[in-house]
Amino acid sequence: MERIIDLELRGLETMVAHMCELAHRAISTALHESLHHGDSYDKVRETSDFLMILADQVEDKAVEIILKFQPVASDLRMVKTLMRISYDLARLGRYALDIAYVNKRFNGVRDCDEWIREYIKNMGQKVMNMVELSLASIKDKSLKSVKEISYLEREVDELYKSFLDKIAKDTSESRAIVSSVLIVRYLERIADHMVYAYEALIYMLTGRRELIE
Amino acid sequence: MSSPYKIEVENLNAWYGHQQVLIDINMKIKDKAVTAIMGPSGCGKTTFIRCLNRMHELVPRAKVSGKVIFNGVNIYDNGVDPTWVRKRIGMVFQKPNPFPMMSIYDNVAFGPRIHGIGDKKLLDQIVRQSLEMAGLWEEVKGDLRRPASALSGGQQQRLCIARALALEPEVILMDEPTSHLDPISVAKIETLIRRLAEKYAIVIVTHNVQQAARVSDYVAFFYMGRLVEYGPTKEVFERPRNELTERYVTGKFG
Amino acid sequence: MTKLHEWFRHLKDKLVLLLAHLALIAALTPLFSVLWEVFRRGIGAISLDFFVKPTPAVGEVGGGVANAIQGTLITIGLASLIGVPIGIITGIFLSEYGETRLSSFVRLFNELLNGMPSIVIGLFAYALIAIKIGFSVTAASFALALIMIPIVSRATEEALKLVPATIREAALALGMPRWKTTIFVALKGARKAVATGVLLAMARIAGESAPVLVTMGYWKWWFAGFDRPVAYLALNIFLFAKSPFENWIALAWGSALILVVIILGINVVVRLLMREKRL
Repeated sequence: MERIIDLELRGLETMVAHMCELAHRAISTALHESLHHGDSYDKVRETSDFLMILADQVEDKAVEIILKFQPVASDLRMVKTLMRISYDLARLGRYALDIAYVNKRFNGVRDCDEWIREYIKNMGQKVMNMVELSLASIKDKSLKSVKEISYLEREVDELYKSFLDKIAKDTSESRAIVSSVLIVRYLERIADHMVYAYEALIYMLTGRRELIE
Repeated sequence: MSSPYKIEVENLNAWYGHQQVLIDINMKIKDKAVTAIMGPSGCGKTTFIRCLNRMHELVPRAKVSGKVIFNGVNIYDNGVDPTWVRKRIGMVFQKPNPFPMMSIYDNVAFGPRIHGIGDKKLLDQIVRQSLEMAGLWEEVKGDLRRPASALSGGQQQRLCIARALALEPEVILMDEPTSHLDPISVAKIETLIRRLAEKYAIVIVTHNVQQAARVSDYVAFFYMGRLVEYGPTKEVFERPRNELTERYVTGKFG
Repeated sequence: MTKLHEWFRHLKDKLVLLLAHLALIAALTPLFSVLWEVFRRGIGAISLDFFVKPTPAVGEVGGGVANAIQGTLITIGLASLIGVPIGIITGIFLSEYGETRLSSFVRLFNELLNGMPSIVIGLFAYALIAIKIGFSVTAASFALALIMIPIVSRATEEALKLVPATIREAALALGMPRWKTTIFVALKGARKAVATGVLLAMARIAGESAPVLVTMGYWKWWFAGFDRPVAYLALNIFLFAKSPFENWIALAWGSALILVVIILGINVVVRLLMREKRL
C-alpha cells in the first residue's frame, strides 16, 4: 500500500542517486587527470559545488519528511542514512576538487617517479572500485559487497601506510613528494568516507550499527 | 520487595463467551515507567488492560485464565477481593466520565469516601493534593463546589485522573485517555503522564502510534490477541524485530 | 417536473396536514368534553363543607367527602408502602440481572400482572385477605399494590438503564462493590425517573374502583382500623351517582371533579419533573 511518505522517500533517493553519479564522475575525472594530461579543474569545481548544494537540499528534504511524517522504524533509518550519505558524497566532491587542484598546481603526479605513479595508479584503482561498489550498493539497497569493501579498505589502508613509509625515505625533489602525498592522502580519505557510507547503509537496512573492519 | 516490575502477567488468556480475545500473554510491567500498548482495532489491547484491574470479568460471559501478579499476589487467586485490586490499580477511561451531578470536590473525594475516609480535613488535603498532581488545582481551586459537568473535556479528563490519584494507587491504567480531546489538552495530559511516571507505573492503551512513541518508555504491540513485540520504546520504534510491528508502525497495515 | 405536478404535490401536502389536524380534534374532543362536563357539574358541589364534612346520612342535607378524602389517602398510602418497594426492587433486579433465566420469568410475571383486569386482581385480594379478615382497607391496599408493582418496576428498570454505563464503570474502577454501584447509580441518576414512575402508579390506582369494590365495599364513616374499610372517593362516585338523593348526586360530581383534578395534577407534576431532568 503506497503511503504519502513513500513518494517523498523516493524523491530523496533520487537526489542521492544523482549525487552518486556526480561524485563518481568527479573523482574518476580528477584521478585520471593526475596520471595523464587534462584540464578539468573548472569542470570538477562545478560538479563539486553542485554536490554541496545537493547535499543541502537532501538535508532540507530529510528534515521536512521528519517534520511532516514523524517517521519511525525503517522509514526513519532511511531518512537518517540518506542524509548521512549525502554528506559523505559531498565530501567526495570536495576531495575530487582537492585532487584537481593538485593537478593544476603541481601537474598531478605526472612529474613523479615511476614507482610513485604506479602506487597512485594502484591505489586509485582500488579506491575507484570501492567508490563504485558503495554507490551501487546504495542505489540497489543491498549489502552483498560488504566483504569486498572490507577487504579493499584494508588494502587501501596498507598502501597508504607503506607509501608514507617509503616516501619518508625518498630523496627526490619536494614538489613531486608533496603532490603525491597529498593525492594519496585524499585517496585514503575518499576510501574512509566510502566505508562510512557503507556502514550507514548497513544501519538503514538492518538497524544494526556495525563497523567494517 | 523492590522488584523493578510492578505487574507480571503470566499466560493470560481471555474470552468473551466462546470467542478468545487474548492468547497466552506474558509480559512484565515496569514500575515508575510508562508502558504503552498499541495495535490495530480489535487486537485485544483494551481487554488486556481491563484484565489488569479485574474489570474485564464484569462483562457478562467474560472469562479469564492465567495469572496477573501484583505485589507478589495473583489478583485472580480465589481469596482476592476485586475491590482491593481496583483501589490499588486505578483506571482512567477513554471518554471522560466524572460523576455529572457531583461537584469537583465530591468527584475527587468519592474514592476515599467509599473506602472509609470521612474526616473533612483529611479529605480536603487529599482532594487538593490529587488535583495538584493532576495539574488541575490552579484552574479549579476558586470553586470546588462547581459541578464537574461545567468543566471542559480536557479538564474533565484531568479530573478523572485526579479522582484515580486520590486513592493513592500504585498503578494507573489509561484506556486511550486522549482520543476524545483537542490537541492542546492532549499535550497537557501527555506531559502529566510523563510526570506521573516518576511515581507510578502507568499502562496506557493508545491507537495513536505517535503518541506511543512520545509518551512511553516501553511499548507492546498486540495483534489479533497476541503480544507480538515488547521492548524499550526507542528500540521498537527504531528497529522493530517483528515484520508485523514494522508494518504497523510505518502505517503499511491495511 | 412540470408546474402542474408541483402544484398537485403541494395540494396533497396541505390536504394531509388538514386531515391530521381534524383527526387530532376528533381525538381530543371526548377528553375535553368529559373534563368540561365534570367541571360544570362538579363545581357546584365544591365548598368548605365539601372538604370538611363526612358523608351525609340518609336524608341529611349537605355533607361532604372529607372522610372519602381521608380514606383515599390512607388506602393509596398503604398500597404505596407495599407496592413501591417491591416494584423498585423488582426493577433493580431486572436491570442488574436481566440476562438470567429467573429474570425472564419475573419479566413474564410482570407483564401478566400488568395486563390483568383490575377486577380480577381485586377478586384475588378478596380471596387471599378479605376472606380472612373481612372487607378492609388492608385488602384493598393489597389489591392496589399489585396493580402498582408492574408500573413501578418497569419505570425503575428503564430509569436504571438510562443512566450511562460509564458512570457505573467509573464507580466500579474506584473500588466500589457491584451491589453498591447499583444503589449509588439508582440514587444519583435514576431518582427522578423512578419518582415519576411512582407518581404515575399512584395516579393509576387513585382512579381504580372495581378492585376496591370487591375488597372493601362501601363505608361512610371515618377511618376505623386497618381491618375495616374506609371511604373511597372513586367508589363514592359509583355509589352516590345511583342514589336518589340530590345532595348525594352533587357530591358524586364533586368527587369526580376532585379526583380528576388530583390525577391531572399528578400528571402535570410528572411532566414538570421530567422536563428539568438533566443528566
